Amino acid sequence: MSYEYIKFGPEERDFIAKIEEISGQNIYSCYQCGKCSAGCAFSSRMDKTVNQLIHFIQMGQKDRVLEANTHWVCSSCLTCSIRCPREIDVAALMEAVREYILREEPEKVKISELSKEVIEKLPNIALVGNFRKMTG
Amino acid sequence: MVQYSYFPGCNLKTDARGFEKSAIAVSKKLESELVEIPNWNCCGTVHTMTSDNLMKRIAPVRILARSRNHIEELEDTLNQAVTLCSMCNSTLKIVNKEMKEDLDALETINFQLEEDNETYENDMEVKHFLEILRDSVGFSKIREKVVKPLIGLKISAYYGCMLLHPDEAKIDDAEMPSVLEDLVESLGAESIFSPMFKHCCGSYHIVEDEDIVTDQVKKITGDVLSRGANALVVACPLCAYNLDQQQKMLMEKTGKKDVLPIFYFSQLMAIAMGEPWEINHFEDHKIDPRELLKKLKIEE
Repeated sequence: MSYEYIKFGPEERDFIAKIEEISGQNIYSCYQCGKCSAGCAFSSRMDKTVNQLIHFIQMGQKDRVLEANTHWVCSSCLTCSIRCPREIDVAALMEAVREYILREEPEKVKISELSKEVIEKLPNIALVGNFRKMTG
Repeated sequence: MVQYSYFPGCNLKTDARGFEKSAIAVSKKLESELVEIPNWNCCGTVHTMTSDNLMKRIAPVRILARSRNHIEELEDTLNQAVTLCSMCNSTLKIVNKEMKEDLDALETINFQLEEDNETYENDMEVKHFLEILRDSVGFSKIREKVVKPLIGLKISAYYGCMLLHPDEAKIDDAEMPSVLEDLVESLGAESIFSPMFKHCCGSYHIVEDEDIVTDQVKKITGDVLSRGANALVVACPLCAYNLDQQQKMLMEKTGKKDVLPIFYFSQLMAIAMGEPWEINHFEDHKIDPRELLKKLKIEE
């Protein structure tokens, strides 16, 4: 068992407040049961599972949250949100982390770098959906 | 004849035109006609889950305002906007509920809409066409209209996420739905249950990370095939594209032979009700369903 000291000051509190503001959720409602991660169709592709990411948000560990791929892999299928026993809109928390980043760096997907071939091949429902989630 | 104010959304005019044309044809046959809202715009595809961004909610509210105006021109109608695409269904239903609960937000959005002399009074309901078929038309009436039962089709219903999530938008029980199964059975087909019925297809990740979608499609089709199904039925143009295109890609890359043609539920209805074949636009599908239909002697 190893321990790690973490900082929990105004900066950490600000990060939590911002995520709560964007998502409209109370981050401390989560009691870490892990049901969201268990039912997530994409857990195997996430470097931190959904409940781990929520735990890092609860501790205000902004860098650890932002470096994860969890919120980008999430495709907003909302399975976690309808199953959460604490009625947290978990997918809204994932959206809040994406938004937190996109409001500063609005191009997770660079539309100008997508090839003409890709844009012509894909249906508009995929393109519009992706740009709404991956650009600010 | 009941008429419904119908919102197509972007894909029903392009990749999924067979979905729209077959649905409109069967809606007329069932005396519940879908009439397109004039001058509609994109709903935004995915609903914003942020609590502080009204801008992303203007487009769907504008659709509801135009639908409200549209029903004045219709006969024997209700205050209902009807969708075919499950993503439009979800986006419109969620925003509609928000606007009923948050009158301040509605007022702010109306302030924007007034620039175009439009306003939304939050007096509409959003329905998916499947809800109309189940609750207003009824499966017994659908069964009566079947002239060519779909004997031999073993269909697994793939609901995807947006027909069942979130609570504001779901059209059936989120964990054990039955509307698609009941529909295909009323058309004479056999329905095959798969627990992957709402395992997300990867959705919009097809744009920036195709591998995610490939993995999901492998899992979904692998399970459905192992249960003996020979086709999938869907209600979402993005699920349809992902499942269809990725199976085709896997077929070309790995020589995989077992594939599942993808049908929109309205295409199955159109076939069973003896509508002209052309309206289904099967030529748009990556895996041509006509081969299976010929084998089963459903298509002559």
